[in-house]
Amino acid sequence: MSIHKEVILKIENVSTVYEGERKPAIKDINLTVNVGELIYIVGPNGAGKTTLLETINGLLPYIKGRVFVFGMDLQKNGRKIRSRIGYVPQDFMVEPDEPFTALDVVLMGLYGKLGLIAKPTNNDVDKAYRVMKLLGIEDLAKRPIGKLSGGQQQKVMIARALAKEPEILLLDEPFSNLDPKSREMVISIIKNLNDHGLTTLIVTHDIKSIIENCRRIVIMMDGRIIADASMNEAKRIFEYSTFHTHVYL
Amino acid sequence: MIPLDFPIIQRALIGSILAGLLTGLVGVFIIRMKLTSSSFCLSHAAFAGAALGITLSLNPLSMALIFSAIIASIIGPVADKAKLHADIIMSITFPLNMALAFIFITLAPSVSQLTGEFTTILWGSVLSMDINDIAILAIILLVTTIVFYLLWKEFFSIMFNKMMAEADGINTKFFVYLAIFIIGIVVTLSLKLVGGLLVFALLVNPASTAFQFLHELKKIVILSPLIGAATCAAGLILSLFLNWPVGACIVMISTLCFAISVFLSPKRKRG
Ligand SMILES: Nc1ncnc2c1ncn2[C@@H]1O[C@H](COP(=O)(O)OP(=O)(O)OP(=O)(O)O)[C@@H](O)[C@H]1O
Ligand SMILES: [Mg+2]
Repeated sequence: MSIHKEVILKIENVSTVYEGERKPAIKDINLTVNVGELIYIVGPNGAGKTTLLETINGLLPYIKGRVFVFGMDLQKNGRKIRSRIGYVPQDFMVEPDEPFTALDVVLMGLYGKLGLIAKPTNNDVDKAYRVMKLLGIEDLAKRPIGKLSGGQQQKVMIARALAKEPEILLLDEPFSNLDPKSREMVISIIKNLNDHGLTTLIVTHDIKSIIENCRRIVIMMDGRIIADASMNEAKRIFEYSTFHTHVYL
Repeated sequence: MIPLDFPIIQRALIGSILAGLLTGLVGVFIIRMKLTSSSFCLSHAAFAGAALGITLSLNPLSMALIFSAIIASIIGPVADKAKLHADIIMSITFPLNMALAFIFITLAPSVSQLTGEFTTILWGSVLSMDINDIAILAIILLVTTIVFYLLWKEFFSIMFNKMMAEADGINTKFFVYLAIFIIGIVVTLSLKLVGGLLVFALLVNPASTAFQFLHELKKIVILSPLIGAATCAAGLILSLFLNWPVGACIVMISTLCFAISVFLSPKRKRG
């Protein structure tokens, strides 16, 4: 992890409005993230967590403010930035008959980085296999993705994001379909990568994981960040069980 | 016996095989990218273009190509502007193309000339294929194959999930526009084989048949053109035997293949 605090993501006064809506889904957001941070984003349904993640990787255009990622203006370098961010979307489900294998999908994570015309090499395939092995899904590599269980599909999407070797990892409820053991495994993988400097933002309702691992927590409500607390403050916040039942449940 | 040594029939057979390969290939992209309206929308754009060509005494095929290429190029941007799927924009453009065609026909100088040209465009006339038609088909097949081969990984990712492809830094809009443009060219060129009314079957059936047997898009994209070529050739031969219209025979064979594939499909079996 870098000792000097190097800013990797800076959000200044950003509001995002969905098309056809009048009310912004997130309002006047300010957030600065340093290289190697692990940030939990929490808040009730509809608070704007997914909107925030998709604003960060430029999938949703913001109407106000500025976003800088890797020191670049998101509005001008969206694609270049996206090719360096791993994103695991919320509730990603695939139809049973989709003609893609799990390996195909994991390998796709690398496509944006490879550039036009370039084909994935054997090296890239090995990389995809390694990540699948890490997540314990290498046996599923040749299975059609739609025929996997919800949790298995979720692991494939995590593998896709990791195979990309991203510099920022955005995870939107990555544990929602995982059994407790798988959840532990995914958390330990993420923590390990984070210890090696991977900046990570996790949206989750999983209080156990937050209490055990949280270094910085961002609490959202009604489109705004209502608290942005350090590890110690966060720990103190979570000692008030009434508070977290209020925020999450 | 079929008189295969007759140059006309040889040309027709080669033309059918080329068009079958081409439509079979493009059909996979049409189905996966949910652009099925492109077949009737763009074939009628070609139809309107040809009508305009006849009215202005220009080459109908070139005008058909130009017209469908223009329509194909504006569908993607209009869809993005309207925030509707391109397929819906094409459904909206389809009657517009028909309307334009009717207007151009009304403006045409001689009705007798029109009838022949339009019968060709509507129903196709593979037996009137000349060496130029075949050369054009071969070139477009080559170019399309090269484009799809070189840009395969981007199309592959978009055909799985457009949002995720965009999240990986792929310019998904560009690829959707490109696909519609290629479809426009291919549809126009296959008009001579089966005509604007039957081209739908050529685009959709082989890919749908291939989907019944295979779980991997990488294999489907190879099998589908082969099915397309085989059904086109078989349809042509059937039409020569029975002296029935070629386009209709191709559609019958290709639909039959699809029907059989549904019964034989390993995807419908248990255990
Ligand atoms: N596609 C959309 N169009 C219009 N409004 C939307 C859209 N998606 C979300 N919203 C609105 O934006 C707000 C924030 O939604 P968002 O999905 O970011 O919430 P969230 O915090 O991720 O919730 P959850 O915990 O349920 O995933 C909500 O009020 C929601 O109604
Ligand atoms: Mg959400």
